[in-house]
Amino acid sequence: MERVKVTWFHAVRGCVTVRIAGSGTERLLSDAAGDGIELLALRRTSPGEIECIVTVGDFFRLRPHLRRTGCRLRIVGKRGLPFQLARIGRRKFFAAGLVLFFIGLYLLSSLIWRIEIEGNERLTDEQILAAARAEGLHVFQWSFRLPGAEELSRRLNTALPGTAWVGVEKRGTLVTIRIVETTEPEPRTLLSPRHLIAKEDAVVTRITATRGRPVVKKNQRVKKGDVLISGILGGDGLHVNVPAEGTVRGLVWHEYDITSPLVRKAKTYTGERRTVWHAVLGDRSLKVSGFGEPPFAKYESVLRQENAAWRGIVLPIGRIRETQLEVTFVERRLTEEEAAAEGLLQARADILRKAGADAVIRAEKILHRKTENGKVYMKVLFEVEQSITDEMPLVQPQGE
Amino acid sequence: MRRINHRLRQWTARVLELPQDVVFDLPRLTMIGDRQLYIENHRGVLHFSPDMLRLALPNGKLEVSGKDLVIRGIWTEEVFVEGIITQVSING
Repeated sequence: MERVKVTWFHAVRGCVTVRIAGSGTERLLSDAAGDGIELLALRRTSPGEIECIVTVGDFFRLRPHLRRTGCRLRIVGKRGLPFQLARIGRRKFFAAGLVLFFIGLYLLSSLIWRIEIEGNERLTDEQILAAARAEGLHVFQWSFRLPGAEELSRRLNTALPGTAWVGVEKRGTLVTIRIVETTEPEPRTLLSPRHLIAKEDAVVTRITATRGRPVVKKNQRVKKGDVLISGILGGDGLHVNVPAEGTVRGLVWHEYDITSPLVRKAKTYTGERRTVWHAVLGDRSLKVSGFGEPPFAKYESVLRQENAAWRGIVLPIGRIRETQLEVTFVERRLTEEEAAAEGLLQARADILRKAGADAVIRAEKILHRKTENGKVYMKVLFEVEQSITDEMPLVQPQGE
Repeated sequence: MRRINHRLRQWTARVLELPQDVVFDLPRLTMIGDRQLYIENHRGVLHFSPDMLRLALPNGKLEVSGKDLVIRGIWTEEVFVEGIITQVSING
């Protein structure tokens, strides 16, 4: 059967393909056309029978004409939306499934399926999720029950301590919470109540108390163990213990004995060298090359082991490269002055190392110097300005 | 009276340059090659077979002959014929 094109307008209204048989088909056509019935794709299938397409509405108006002209009508095919709807109507469960599918699709796509958290360092994911849950943002929540992203961000920001900014972004079924944490200063170390006392006998040059009560004054002489900054605030009966803090600097005298030899031995390399190879298997090594006594009177050996490795696994097979470097010892004779200066230099470095990084040598005085047995002996007094504080914990008296 | 009426119509058509079919209730045929024929102002089908279509006109007859003739659509005033048309004769 030739498939005749029908416009979408006809398809929506529904079309019926009919075959009309009888002797008066031409009369029927004329009458029907005169009545305003629309007949489409009209063709003669055999003498005495024609086939045409009519819309559903016109089909019922065709009836009286049929009766009058004595023609018989047979429906060959049905096409169009009304028939399809009727077919769907017969298959109720299929139709219900179709509707349910779309409803399900819509509902599932309006759920929150995943929550991602970015940018948190101190806060744990659990804390943030708990705060979000309190605001109604959690997995399997309906999208339409959520407040706006801006509102959520603001509420989360207030709910989470230590956040500078919270951004909530909803993309489909995924919610991303971006967090910027506040930068907090390092927490201060907790100190127990204490005094600051003198570490050495000294003369105070500077005293500043950031906490506690300074007891000594500038230019005051203090003995080792004297309280410099008191951790007890208040008078008798009514006092409170605090950890004393501050800086106290003072002049401290160090007596230093220096011994500086006049002859200095120095080791030097001559540049002559020899390489000896050893094979290594496990803990054992075997000399492979460089047999015989080394041709140097004095030498140093530098060992360098190289083990075979395969994919980062070090195997117990390898080689040792032994480099023998010839050395000679050179003697250098110093004058008394040179030896003394060198001794002083060492003594200064030693003092500063002991007194602390911020110590300054204010004065130095050689008390005594003598040369004996190829050595210079000196007694030097250093005047060093340095930090002189030491801690002494305050013990709380336990009742009467 | 009818004659005056006819004369008046003819005069109007000439003066206003109106198409003849509008004024005199004549059929208008639109033919596209030998495959499509559009007939306006017919008065019903007299005969229809794949080789021959005979239509009634307000005054006369129209005969369309050809091969595999199909009426694509038939309405109160118009007929749309498709197929291989070999001959159209009017009032023959």
